[in-house]
Amino acid sequence: MSQPAWSEQFDGDRLPRVASSLPDVISREWALDGATGAGIRVAVVDSGIDQKHPAVRHIEGAVALEYDPEAASGVRITEGAHGDAYGHGTACAGIIRTNAPECDLFSVRVLGSRLTGKGPVFAAGIRWAVTHGMHVVNMSLSTGKHDYYGLFHEIVDLAYFRNVMLVCAVNNVPGPSYPSQYAAVFSVAAHSGKDPLHFDYNPNPPVEFGAPGISLDVPWLNQGTITASGNSFAAPHIAGVVARILSKHPGLTAFEMKTVLAALADNRSAVTS
Amino acid sequence: MSPERDPLTVFAQLAADLGPALIPVGHRDLLHSITETARRLFTARACSVALLTESEDELEFIMASGEGAEAVRELRIPASQGIAGWVVMSGQAIAVDDVGADPRFAASVAETTGYVPRSILAMPLQTDRRVLGVIEVLDRADRSAAGLGDMELLALFAGQAALVIESSTMFGELGRVLLESLAVAATDADVAMQLQRHASSAPQPRKDLGEIAALFQELGHAGARERRLAVRLLRDVLESIGDREPE
Repeated sequence: MSQPAWSEQFDGDRLPRVASSLPDVISREWALDGATGAGIRVAVVDSGIDQKHPAVRHIEGAVALEYDPEAASGVRITEGAHGDAYGHGTACAGIIRTNAPECDLFSVRVLGSRLTGKGPVFAAGIRWAVTHGMHVVNMSLSTGKHDYYGLFHEIVDLAYFRNVMLVCAVNNVPGPSYPSQYAAVFSVAAHSGKDPLHFDYNPNPPVEFGAPGISLDVPWLNQGTITASGNSFAAPHIAGVVARILSKHPGLTAFEMKTVLAALADNRSAVTS
Repeated sequence: MSPERDPLTVFAQLAADLGPALIPVGHRDLLHSITETARRLFTARACSVALLTESEDELEFIMASGEGAEAVRELRIPASQGIAGWVVMSGQAIAVDDVGADPRFAASVAETTGYVPRSILAMPLQTDRRVLGVIEVLDRADRSAAGLGDMELLALFAGQAALVIESSTMFGELGRVLLESLAVAATDADVAMQLQRHASSAPQPRKDLGEIAALFQELGHAGARERRLAVRLLRDVLESIGDREPE
Protein backbone atom coordinates (compact mmCIF):
# COMPACT_ATOMS: atom_id res chain seq x y z
CA MET A 1 0.00 0.00 0.00
CA SER A 2 1.40 3.37 -0.95
CA GLN A 3 1.81 5.91 1.81
CA PRO A 4 0.12 9.26 1.33
CA ALA A 5 2.75 11.80 0.33
CA TRP A 6 1.45 14.64 2.46
CA SER A 7 4.46 16.83 1.99
CA GLU A 8 3.93 16.85 -1.80
CA GLN A 9 1.19 19.36 -1.07
CA PHE A 10 3.93 21.75 -0.07
CA ASP A 11 6.11 21.41 -3.20
CA GLY A 12 6.76 24.82 -4.67
CA ASP A 13 4.71 24.26 -7.87
CA ARG A 14 1.74 22.70 -6.18
CA LEU A 15 1.47 24.91 -3.15
CA PRO A 16 -1.71 26.93 -3.63
CA ARG A 17 -1.62 30.66 -2.94
CA VAL A 18 -3.97 31.50 -0.11
CA ALA A 19 -5.76 34.85 -0.15
CA SER A 20 -5.89 36.67 3.14
CA SER A 21 -9.44 36.19 4.33
CA LEU A 22 -9.40 38.05 7.64
CA PRO A 23 -8.90 41.82 7.94
CA ASP A 24 -6.46 43.35 10.41
CA VAL A 25 -9.38 44.43 12.57
CA ILE A 26 -12.44 42.19 12.71
CA SER A 27 -15.50 44.33 13.24
CA ARG A 28 -19.25 43.69 13.21
CA GLU A 29 -19.51 46.04 10.22
CA TRP A 30 -17.00 43.96 8.26
CA ALA A 31 -18.62 40.69 9.28
CA LEU A 32 -22.33 41.40 9.24
CA ASP A 33 -23.37 44.68 7.63
CA GLY A 34 -25.48 44.13 4.53
CA ALA A 35 -25.30 40.34 4.95
CA THR A 36 -28.50 38.26 4.84
CA GLY A 37 -27.37 34.67 4.60
CA ALA A 38 -28.32 34.62 0.90
CA GLY A 39 -26.88 31.64 -0.98
CA ILE A 40 -25.87 29.77 2.19
CA ARG A 41 -27.40 26.34 2.69
CA VAL A 42 -28.29 25.58 6.30
CA ALA A 43 -29.44 22.11 7.37
CA VAL A 44 -31.59 21.68 10.46
CA VAL A 45 -31.00 18.16 11.78
CA ASP A 46 -34.02 17.75 14.02
CA SER A 47 -37.72 16.78 14.01
CA GLY A 48 -38.57 18.28 10.60
CA ILE A 49 -39.64 21.82 9.66
CA ASP A 50 -43.15 23.17 9.15
CA GLN A 51 -42.52 25.43 6.16
CA LYS A 52 -45.99 26.95 6.42
CA HIS A 53 -44.99 28.60 9.68
CA PRO A 54 -44.79 32.37 9.13
CA ALA A 55 -41.42 32.50 10.90
CA VAL A 56 -40.00 29.98 8.42
CA ARG A 57 -41.84 30.98 5.18
CA HIS A 58 -40.18 28.43 2.91
CA ILE A 59 -37.52 25.74 2.82
CA GLU A 60 -35.37 24.65 -0.09
CA GLY A 61 -35.39 20.93 0.55
CA ALA A 62 -36.20 18.13 2.96
CA VAL A 63 -34.99 14.62 3.66
CA ALA A 64 -36.22 12.17 6.29
CA LEU A 65 -34.02 9.46 7.77
CA GLU A 66 -35.52 6.51 9.62
CA TYR A 67 -34.32 3.33 11.24
CA ASP A 68 -34.89 0.42 8.87
CA PRO A 69 -33.35 -2.96 9.75
CA GLU A 70 -34.10 -4.11 6.17
CA ALA A 71 -31.92 -1.38 4.63
CA ALA A 72 -28.26 -2.23 4.03
CA SER A 73 -27.01 0.59 6.27
CA GLY A 74 -29.87 0.21 8.76
CA VAL A 75 -31.19 3.63 7.70
CA ARG A 76 -33.86 4.49 5.13
CA ILE A 77 -33.50 7.88 3.45
CA THR A 78 -36.56 9.54 1.88
CA GLU A 79 -36.21 12.85 0.06
CA GLY A 80 -39.27 15.09 -0.16
CA ALA A 81 -41.57 17.22 1.95
CA HIS A 82 -42.47 16.22 5.50
CA GLY A 83 -43.91 17.94 8.54
CA ASP A 84 -42.70 18.48 12.08
CA ALA A 85 -44.33 16.23 14.67
CA TYR A 86 -42.77 17.95 17.68
CA GLY A 87 -42.35 21.61 16.76
CA HIS A 88 -38.69 21.83 17.72
CA GLY A 89 -37.20 21.73 14.21
CA THR A 90 -39.57 24.54 13.24
CA ALA A 91 -38.36 26.56 16.24
CA CYS A 92 -34.73 26.14 15.15
CA ALA A 93 -35.55 27.05 11.53
CA GLY A 94 -37.37 30.22 12.65
CA ILE A 95 -34.46 31.28 14.87
CA ILE A 96 -31.95 30.72 12.04
CA ARG A 97 -34.17 32.86 9.78
CA THR A 98 -34.09 35.67 12.32
CA ASN A 99 -30.31 35.94 12.05
CA ALA A 100 -29.95 34.93 8.38
CA PRO A 101 -33.28 35.90 6.75
CA GLU A 102 -32.35 34.87 3.21
CA CYS A 103 -30.45 31.64 3.83
CA ASP A 104 -31.59 28.40 2.17
CA LEU A 105 -33.05 26.11 4.82
CA PHE A 106 -33.01 22.33 4.49
CA SER A 107 -34.88 20.01 6.85
CA VAL A 108 -33.03 16.83 7.78
CA ARG A 109 -35.52 14.91 9.90
CA VAL A 110 -33.89 12.31 12.15
CA LEU A 111 -36.29 12.28 15.11
CA GLY A 112 -39.24 10.06 14.42
CA SER A 113 -41.59 7.66 16.09
CA ARG A 114 -39.20 5.58 18.16
CA LEU A 115 -35.78 5.80 19.73
CA THR A 116 -34.50 2.53 18.26
CA GLY A 117 -31.59 3.15 15.91
CA LYS A 118 -31.31 6.81 16.88
CA GLY A 119 -27.49 6.91 16.90
CA PRO A 120 -26.98 5.57 13.36
CA VAL A 121 -29.95 7.61 12.05
CA PHE A 122 -28.63 10.80 13.61
CA ALA A 123 -25.13 10.09 12.27
CA ALA A 124 -26.53 9.38 8.79
CA GLY A 125 -28.41 12.70 8.94
CA ILE A 126 -25.22 14.64 9.63
CA ARG A 127 -23.43 12.67 6.92
CA TRP A 128 -26.22 13.49 4.45
CA ALA A 129 -25.83 17.20 5.21
CA VAL A 130 -22.04 17.08 4.92
CA THR A 131 -22.14 15.26 1.58
CA HIS A 132 -25.03 17.24 0.02
CA GLY A 133 -23.52 20.68 -0.20
CA MET A 134 -24.68 22.17 3.10
CA HIS A 135 -22.53 25.02 4.44
CA VAL A 136 -23.89 25.08 8.00
CA VAL A 137 -25.58 22.32 10.02
CA ASN A 138 -27.61 23.00 13.16
CA MET A 139 -27.87 20.19 15.68
CA SER A 140 -29.93 20.76 18.78
CA LEU A 141 -29.59 17.15 19.76
CA SER A 142 -26.99 14.84 21.18
CA THR A 143 -26.29 11.32 22.36
CA GLY A 144 -24.54 10.34 25.55
CA LYS A 145 -24.04 6.76 24.41
CA HIS A 146 -20.34 6.02 24.50
CA ASP A 147 -20.64 3.35 21.79
CA TYR A 148 -21.15 6.14 19.25
CA TYR A 149 -18.06 8.14 20.17
CA GLY A 150 -16.05 6.91 17.16
CA LEU A 151 -18.94 7.06 14.69
CA PHE A 152 -19.67 10.72 15.40
CA HIS A 153 -16.01 11.67 15.63
CA GLU A 154 -15.42 10.38 12.11
CA ILE A 155 -18.32 12.39 10.67
CA VAL A 156 -17.39 15.55 12.55
CA ASP A 157 -13.83 15.32 11.20
CA LEU A 158 -15.20 14.77 7.68
CA ALA A 159 -17.32 17.92 8.07
CA TYR A 160 -14.34 19.92 9.31
CA PHE A 161 -12.14 18.85 6.38
CA ARG A 162 -14.91 19.75 3.93
CA ASN A 163 -15.41 23.07 5.67
CA VAL A 164 -19.00 22.33 6.68
CA MET A 165 -19.69 24.20 9.92
CA LEU A 166 -21.43 22.07 12.54
CA VAL A 167 -23.22 23.99 15.26
CA CYS A 168 -24.24 21.85 18.29
CA ALA A 169 -26.24 22.54 21.42
CA VAL A 170 -24.40 21.29 24.49
CA ASN A 171 -26.27 19.11 26.90
CA ASN A 172 -27.38 20.09 30.40
CA VAL A 173 -27.33 16.45 31.39
CA PRO A 174 -24.21 15.42 33.35
CA GLY A 175 -21.63 13.36 31.44
CA PRO A 176 -20.21 13.70 27.95
CA SER A 177 -22.48 14.13 24.95
CA TYR A 178 -21.70 13.79 21.29
CA PRO A 179 -21.17 15.52 18.93
CA SER A 180 -21.09 18.73 21.04
CA GLN A 181 -18.00 17.40 22.86
CA TYR A 182 -15.65 17.48 19.85
CA ALA A 183 -13.27 20.38 19.26
CA ALA A 184 -14.21 20.75 15.57
CA VAL A 185 -17.85 21.75 16.23
CA PHE A 186 -19.26 25.11 17.33
CA SER A 187 -20.65 24.13 20.74
CA VAL A 188 -23.30 26.43 22.14
CA ALA A 189 -25.08 26.98 25.47
CA ALA A 190 -27.78 29.49 26.40
CA HIS A 191 -27.30 32.90 27.99
CA SER A 192 -30.11 35.07 29.26
CA GLY A 193 -29.77 37.81 26.62
CA LYS A 194 -32.63 38.54 24.23
CA ASP A 195 -30.90 40.26 21.30
CA PRO A 196 -30.62 37.49 18.66
CA LEU A 197 -27.20 38.82 17.58
CA HIS A 198 -25.83 38.88 21.15
CA PHE A 199 -23.28 36.10 21.50
CA ASP A 200 -20.49 35.46 23.97
CA TYR A 201 -17.25 33.52 23.73
CA ASN A 202 -16.11 31.18 26.50
CA PRO A 203 -12.34 30.70 26.59
CA ASN A 204 -12.77 27.58 28.75
CA PRO A 205 -14.21 24.93 26.41
CA PRO A 206 -15.78 22.44 25.68
CA VAL A 207 -18.65 24.93 25.37
CA GLU A 208 -17.29 27.79 23.26
CA PHE A 209 -20.22 30.09 22.50
CA GLY A 210 -23.23 31.48 24.35
CA ALA A 211 -26.41 32.74 22.63
CA PRO A 212 -30.01 33.54 23.65
CA GLY A 213 -31.91 30.51 24.94
CA ILE A 214 -33.89 31.50 28.01
CA SER A 215 -37.60 32.36 28.02
CA LEU A 216 -37.73 33.00 24.28
CA ASP A 217 -40.85 33.12 22.15
CA VAL A 218 -40.09 30.51 19.51
CA PRO A 219 -42.10 29.13 16.57
CA TRP A 220 -43.86 25.84 17.34
CA LEU A 221 -46.68 23.64 16.10
CA ASN A 222 -49.81 24.87 14.32
CA GLN A 223 -48.09 28.05 13.14
CA GLY A 224 -48.03 29.18 16.77
CA THR A 225 -45.32 30.04 19.26
CA ILE A 226 -44.36 28.89 22.74
CA THR A 227 -42.16 30.49 25.37
CA ALA A 228 -39.30 28.13 26.01
CA SER A 229 -35.74 27.75 27.35
CA GLY A 230 -32.87 25.44 26.49
CA ASN A 231 -29.46 25.23 24.89
CA SER A 232 -31.29 23.78 21.91
CA PHE A 233 -32.59 27.30 21.13
CA ALA A 234 -29.17 28.88 21.57
CA ALA A 235 -27.46 26.78 18.88
CA PRO A 236 -29.64 28.01 15.97
CA HIS A 237 -28.80 31.63 16.89
CA ILE A 238 -25.13 30.85 16.29
CA ALA A 239 -25.98 28.81 13.15
CA GLY A 240 -27.80 31.90 11.83
CA VAL A 241 -24.89 34.23 12.63
CA VAL A 242 -22.45 31.84 10.96
CA ALA A 243 -24.65 31.64 7.83
CA ARG A 244 -24.96 35.41 7.73
CA ILE A 245 -21.20 36.01 7.99
CA LEU A 246 -20.52 33.25 5.46
CA SER A 247 -22.85 34.87 2.90
CA LYS A 248 -20.67 37.98 2.98
CA HIS A 249 -17.34 36.15 3.37
CA PRO A 250 -17.80 32.78 1.67
CA GLY A 251 -14.09 31.93 1.75
CA LEU A 252 -13.89 31.61 5.52
CA THR A 253 -12.85 28.25 6.96
CA ALA A 254 -14.38 26.80 10.11
CA PHE A 255 -11.40 27.82 12.22
CA GLU A 256 -11.48 31.35 10.79
CA MET A 257 -15.19 31.53 11.57
CA LYS A 258 -14.47 30.65 15.20
CA THR A 259 -11.85 33.39 15.25
CA VAL A 260 -14.40 35.87 13.86
CA LEU A 261 -17.02 34.87 16.44
CA ALA A 262 -14.51 35.07 19.27
CA ALA A 263 -13.37 38.50 18.05
CA LEU A 264 -16.93 39.82 17.77
CA ALA A 265 -18.24 38.29 20.99
CA ASP A 266 -20.11 40.74 23.18
CA ASN A 267 -18.11 39.80 26.25
CA ARG A 268 -14.87 40.58 24.38
CA SER A 269 -16.06 43.99 23.19
CA ALA A 270 -17.02 44.84 26.74
CA VAL A 271 -13.52 44.02 27.97
CA THR A 272 -11.57 45.90 25.28
CA SER A 273 -13.68 49.07 25.14
CA MET B 1 -30.97 -32.45 25.73
CA SER B 2 -34.38 -30.78 25.49
CA PRO B 3 -34.33 -27.00 25.84
CA GLU B 4 -36.38 -27.13 29.08
CA ARG B 5 -33.74 -29.29 30.74
CA ASP B 6 -30.74 -27.33 29.55
CA PRO B 7 -29.28 -26.19 32.89
CA LEU B 8 -28.40 -22.75 31.52
CA THR B 9 -31.99 -22.20 30.33
CA VAL B 10 -33.33 -23.35 33.71
CA PHE B 11 -30.84 -21.07 35.43
CA ALA B 12 -31.83 -18.09 33.25
CA GLN B 13 -35.54 -18.65 33.98
CA LEU B 14 -34.89 -19.06 37.70
CA ALA B 15 -32.85 -15.85 37.77
CA ALA B 16 -35.50 -13.99 35.79
CA ASP B 17 -38.22 -15.10 38.24
CA LEU B 18 -36.09 -14.38 41.29
CA GLY B 19 -34.77 -11.01 40.11
CA PRO B 20 -37.87 -8.89 40.77
CA ALA B 21 -38.09 -10.25 44.31
CA LEU B 22 -34.51 -9.14 44.96
CA ILE B 23 -34.99 -5.50 43.92
CA PRO B 24 -34.02 -3.61 47.06
CA VAL B 25 -37.09 -2.62 49.07
CA GLY B 26 -36.14 1.03 48.93
CA HIS B 27 -36.08 1.52 45.16
CA ARG B 28 -39.68 2.58 44.65
CA ASP B 29 -39.58 4.66 47.81
CA LEU B 30 -36.38 6.29 46.63
CA LEU B 31 -37.90 7.14 43.27
CA HIS B 32 -40.95 8.56 45.01
CA SER B 33 -38.69 10.55 47.29
CA ILE B 34 -36.83 11.94 44.26
CA THR B 35 -40.01 13.16 42.53
CA GLU B 36 -41.46 14.51 45.78
CA THR B 37 -38.24 16.31 46.76
CA ALA B 38 -37.92 17.83 43.29
CA ARG B 39 -41.56 18.92 43.37
CA ARG B 40 -41.12 20.66 46.73
CA LEU B 41 -37.77 22.19 45.87
CA PHE B 42 -39.19 23.79 42.74
CA THR B 43 -42.49 24.57 44.50
CA ALA B 44 -44.10 22.80 41.57
CA ARG B 45 -47.57 21.31 41.21
CA ALA B 46 -46.31 17.93 40.03
CA CYS B 47 -43.21 15.91 39.20
CA SER B 48 -43.16 12.65 37.29
CA VAL B 49 -40.87 10.03 35.81
CA ALA B 50 -41.75 8.22 32.57
CA LEU B 51 -39.74 5.39 31.02
CA LEU B 52 -39.44 4.25 27.44
CA THR B 53 -41.28 1.01 26.82
CA GLU B 54 -39.45 -1.99 25.43
CA SER B 55 -40.47 -1.15 21.86
CA GLU B 56 -39.08 2.38 22.45
CA ASP B 57 -42.11 4.06 20.89
CA GLU B 58 -44.03 4.94 24.06
CA LEU B 59 -43.36 6.55 27.41
CA GLU B 60 -44.92 4.99 30.50
CA PHE B 61 -45.23 7.04 33.69
CA ILE B 62 -43.91 4.92 36.56
CA MET B 63 -43.81 7.50 39.34
CA ALA B 64 -45.48 10.82 40.04
CA SER B 65 -45.93 13.24 42.91
CA GLY B 66 -48.39 16.07 43.31
CA GLU B 67 -51.38 16.97 41.21
CA GLY B 68 -52.85 14.17 39.07
CA ALA B 69 -50.23 11.76 40.48
CA GLU B 70 -52.54 8.78 40.89
CA ALA B 71 -54.10 9.17 37.47
CA VAL B 72 -50.85 9.62 35.60
CA ARG B 73 -49.17 6.47 36.92
CA GLU B 74 -49.04 3.73 34.30
CA LEU B 75 -50.36 6.16 31.68
CA ARG B 76 -48.66 5.64 28.33
CA ILE B 77 -48.08 8.38 25.77
CA PRO B 78 -46.53 8.05 22.31
CA ALA B 79 -42.86 9.09 22.17
CA SER B 80 -43.43 10.47 18.68
CA GLN B 81 -44.92 13.76 19.90
CA GLY B 82 -45.03 16.23 22.74
CA ILE B 83 -42.37 17.92 24.85
CA ALA B 84 -41.45 14.71 26.72
CA GLY B 85 -41.18 12.82 23.42
CA TRP B 86 -38.80 15.37 21.93
CA VAL B 87 -36.65 15.42 25.09
CA VAL B 88 -36.27 11.64 25.07
CA MET B 89 -35.53 11.56 21.35
CA SER B 90 -33.09 14.46 21.26
CA GLY B 91 -31.35 13.86 24.59
CA GLN B 92 -31.72 17.58 25.33
CA ALA B 93 -33.41 19.23 28.30
CA ILE B 94 -36.05 21.84 27.60
CA ALA B 95 -38.24 24.19 29.62
CA VAL B 96 -41.53 25.43 28.23
CA ASP B 97 -43.14 28.32 30.09
CA ASP B 98 -46.47 27.90 28.37
CA VAL B 99 -47.49 24.66 26.66
CA GLY B 100 -50.62 26.29 25.29
CA ALA B 101 -49.39 26.06 21.72
CA ASP B 102 -48.65 22.35 22.04
CA PRO B 103 -52.17 20.95 22.29
CA ARG B 104 -51.01 17.38 21.85
CA PHE B 105 -49.34 17.41 25.23
CA ALA B 106 -52.42 18.77 26.89
CA ALA B 107 -54.65 16.26 25.15
CA SER B 108 -52.64 13.15 25.98
CA VAL B 109 -51.97 13.76 29.63
CA ALA B 110 -54.57 16.23 30.79
CA GLU B 111 -57.49 14.10 29.56
CA THR B 112 -56.46 11.37 31.97
CA THR B 113 -55.41 13.49 34.91
CA GLY B 114 -57.92 16.29 34.62
CA TYR B 115 -55.05 18.68 35.23
CA VAL B 116 -53.67 20.87 32.46
CA PRO B 117 -50.18 22.21 33.18
CA ARG B 118 -49.01 25.55 31.84
CA SER B 119 -45.30 24.99 32.15
CA ILE B 120 -42.98 22.00 31.85
CA LEU B 121 -39.35 21.46 32.68
CA ALA B 122 -38.28 18.16 31.11
CA MET B 123 -34.95 16.38 31.17
CA PRO B 124 -33.83 13.05 29.75
CA LEU B 125 -32.93 10.21 32.11
CA GLN B 126 -29.89 8.49 30.69
CA THR B 127 -26.79 6.49 31.45
CA ASP B 128 -23.75 6.18 29.21
CA ARG B 129 -25.36 3.01 27.85
CA ARG B 130 -28.83 4.20 26.94
CA VAL B 131 -31.69 6.63 27.32
CA LEU B 132 -34.15 5.41 29.95
CA GLY B 133 -36.88 8.03 29.88
CA VAL B 134 -37.70 11.49 31.11
CA ILE B 135 -38.25 13.41 34.36
CA GLU B 136 -40.73 16.29 34.22
CA VAL B 137 -41.51 19.11 36.64
CA LEU B 138 -44.87 20.77 35.99
CA ASP B 139 -45.87 24.32 36.89
CA ARG B 140 -42.96 25.59 38.95
CA ALA B 141 -43.94 28.54 41.13
CA ASP B 142 -41.15 30.78 39.83
CA ARG B 143 -40.02 29.79 36.39
CA SER B 144 -38.79 33.12 35.07
CA ALA B 145 -36.09 34.01 37.56
CA ALA B 146 -34.12 30.81 37.64
CA GLY B 147 -33.35 30.49 33.92
CA LEU B 148 -31.24 27.44 33.24
CA GLY B 149 -30.35 27.12 36.92
CA ASP B 150 -33.48 25.01 37.38
CA MET B 151 -32.28 22.74 34.61
CA GLU B 152 -28.93 22.22 36.27
CA LEU B 153 -30.67 21.47 39.55
CA LEU B 154 -33.05 19.00 37.93
CA ALA B 155 -30.04 17.32 36.29
CA LEU B 156 -28.95 16.19 39.78
CA PHE B 157 -32.34 14.55 40.39
CA ALA B 158 -32.26 13.06 36.89
CA GLY B 159 -28.88 11.50 37.66
CA GLN B 160 -30.20 9.94 40.89
CA ALA B 161 -33.36 8.65 39.24
CA ALA B 162 -31.38 7.12 36.37
CA LEU B 163 -29.14 5.27 38.84
CA VAL B 164 -32.11 3.86 40.75
CA ILE B 165 -33.90 2.80 37.57
CA GLU B 166 -30.80 1.27 36.02
CA SER B 167 -30.10 -0.74 39.14
CA SER B 168 -33.75 -1.91 39.36
CA THR B 169 -33.59 -2.94 35.72
CA MET B 170 -30.49 -5.00 36.46
CA PHE B 171 -32.44 -7.02 39.03
CA GLY B 172 -35.36 -7.28 36.63
CA GLU B 173 -33.04 -8.77 34.03
CA LEU B 174 -31.09 -10.83 36.49
CA GLY B 175 -30.89 -13.84 34.16
CA ARG B 176 -29.29 -11.87 31.37
CA VAL B 177 -26.99 -9.91 33.68
CA LEU B 178 -25.69 -13.04 35.47
CA LEU B 179 -25.11 -14.96 32.26
CA GLU B 180 -23.32 -12.00 30.68
CA SER B 181 -21.11 -11.63 33.73
CA LEU B 182 -20.25 -15.32 33.59
CA ALA B 183 -19.48 -14.98 29.88
CA VAL B 184 -17.04 -12.17 30.60
CA ALA B 185 -15.39 -14.20 33.35
CA ALA B 186 -15.19 -17.44 31.33
CA THR B 187 -11.67 -18.31 30.19
CA ASP B 188 -12.83 -20.87 27.59
CA ALA B 189 -13.99 -19.19 24.37
CA ASP B 190 -16.62 -21.87 23.61
CA VAL B 191 -18.10 -21.61 27.08
CA ALA B 192 -18.13 -17.82 26.83
CA MET B 193 -19.97 -18.03 23.51
CA GLN B 194 -22.54 -20.47 24.93
CA LEU B 195 -23.13 -18.19 27.92
CA GLN B 196 -23.43 -15.11 25.70
CA ARG B 197 -25.94 -16.92 23.48
CA HIS B 198 -28.07 -17.85 26.49
CA ALA B 199 -27.74 -14.32 27.85
CA SER B 200 -29.18 -12.81 24.68
CA SER B 201 -32.15 -15.18 24.78
CA ALA B 202 -32.64 -15.02 28.56
CA PRO B 203 -36.34 -14.78 29.44
CA GLN B 204 -37.90 -11.54 30.64
CA PRO B 205 -39.13 -11.62 34.21
CA ARG B 206 -42.78 -12.63 34.55
CA LYS B 207 -44.64 -9.46 35.31
CA ASP B 208 -47.12 -10.95 37.78
CA LEU B 209 -44.31 -12.48 39.84
CA GLY B 210 -42.70 -9.05 39.97
CA GLU B 211 -45.97 -7.60 41.22
CA ILE B 212 -46.25 -10.24 43.92
CA ALA B 213 -42.68 -9.47 44.99
CA ALA B 214 -43.49 -5.75 45.12
CA LEU B 215 -46.56 -6.46 47.28
CA PHE B 216 -44.42 -8.44 49.71
CA GLN B 217 -42.03 -5.51 49.91
CA GLU B 218 -44.89 -3.20 50.75
CA LEU B 219 -46.04 -5.61 53.44
CA GLY B 220 -42.65 -5.05 55.03
CA HIS B 221 -43.88 -1.58 55.97
CA ALA B 222 -47.15 -2.85 57.47
CA GLY B 223 -47.69 -3.64 61.14
CA ALA B 224 -47.48 -7.13 62.63
CA ARG B 225 -51.28 -7.53 62.67
CA GLU B 226 -51.59 -6.57 59.00
CA ARG B 227 -48.83 -8.98 58.06
CA ARG B 228 -50.55 -11.82 59.94
CA LEU B 229 -53.75 -10.98 58.06
CA ALA B 230 -51.88 -11.13 54.76
CA VAL B 231 -50.38 -14.51 55.62
CA ARG B 232 -53.87 -15.85 56.49
CA LEU B 233 -55.28 -14.54 53.20
CA LEU B 234 -52.44 -16.06 51.23
CA ARG B 235 -52.95 -19.44 52.92
CA ASP B 236 -56.65 -19.21 52.01
CA VAL B 237 -55.77 -18.48 48.41
CA LEU B 238 -53.37 -21.42 48.24
CA GLU B 239 -55.95 -23.70 49.92
CA SER B 240 -58.67 -22.69 47.48
CA ILE B 241 -56.31 -23.33 44.58
CA GLY B 242 -55.71 -26.77 46.05
CA ASP B 243 -54.75 -29.36 43.51
CA ARG B 244 -56.19 -27.42 40.58
CA GLU B 245 -54.22 -27.60 37.39
CA PRO B 246 -52.63 -24.19 36.66
CA GLU B 247 -54.41 -22.34 33.84
